[in-house]
Amino acid sequence: MTEVSAPLEQFVIRPLVPIHIGTTDISYTNSALLMTIVVALIMLLLVGGTRRAALVPGRLQSLAEMSYEFVAGMVRENVGTDGFEYFPLVFSIFMFVLFGNFLGLIPYSFTFTGQIVVTFALAIFVFLLVTLVGLIRHGFHFFTFFFPAGAPVFMAPILVPIEVISYMSRPVSLGIRLFANMMAGHTMMAVFAGFTITLGVFGFLPIAINVAMFALEIIVCALQAYVFTILTCLYLRDAIHLH
Amino acid sequence: MSESEPPDPLRRLGREIDEARSRAGDGKPAGRGDVTASGNALGFGLRVGIELIAALIVGVGLGWLADRYIGTRPWGLIAGFFLGSAAGMMNVFRAAQGMGGGPPRGGRK
Repeated sequence: MTEVSAPLEQFVIRPLVPIHIGTTDISYTNSALLMTIVVALIMLLLVGGTRRAALVPGRLQSLAEMSYEFVAGMVRENVGTDGFEYFPLVFSIFMFVLFGNFLGLIPYSFTFTGQIVVTFALAIFVFLLVTLVGLIRHGFHFFTFFFPAGAPVFMAPILVPIEVISYMSRPVSLGIRLFANMMAGHTMMAVFAGFTITLGVFGFLPIAINVAMFALEIIVCALQAYVFTILTCLYLRDAIHLH
Repeated sequence: MSESEPPDPLRRLGREIDEARSRAGDGKPAGRGDVTASGNALGFGLRVGIELIAALIVGVGLGWLADRYIGTRPWGLIAGFFLGSAAGMMNVFRAAQGMGGGPPRGGRK
């Protein structure tokens, strides 16, 4: 490389196949490419893992079954068995975020979970879905959710707006959490990698830090996918069980 | 009767699994997942900070929108700020109690 790249350059979205419909730019970008790869990999893992289902699972089947069992346990514990109709959704979200996080760790690839557009779109989708589930399951009874049981009625003008804002802050915190974690980790690694070049002989120090940080990033990737999924489960549980 | 091997070991295994399943859970959620235990202190601090900021963003955003489209300037922003702060505090309080949201249920079980 002739020049030291800026730490934030890794988040730049580059159109690979420019597509314009009217004034709308729907180009196929590096972000979209990574998403395609992620979905293809998940399909490959699950279809390949379950194609020849053996009683004693092989490597691929074991992996597919483990991921299923993990998310199934999460849904069973946090939503309950009557929440199992939402298992496909929860499983898809988990696999998509997990694979997106991990593939973003590969050098020269792209972290689409480090884009607030992507995480916020996922979060808004979860939020709208959970609200709809609550409304359909409970009808107008759903709105008692915004008033804590046992509070005096004259407090309602203050409590209800606070509860509504608190409820609406869910997608914001859900989206920002994933985005901030991924973006911060990747930026930090890029900054230290930049030091490697400028420090010359002592360049091994930032490399050592980056090795340690890479291990940390692997934990963060798995943990953030887990947190995103378990919060989805908890929101679903609130919508289904209400009280 | 001889103690011969059961006709279908697989079926017996299936029955055992079913029994274990029914023992393990009665279909009710086991309680809020304890996310706080699975992260370190830094992670928890970041999480709580994000909860606080998120509610503030929503509160101030709603107030600002009300000002812009209803014309209540500047009261929407002021009320939004305070309500957002309160909601943020409540989020933090709930995050500290156990991850997730939702108003407290009527009394402990």
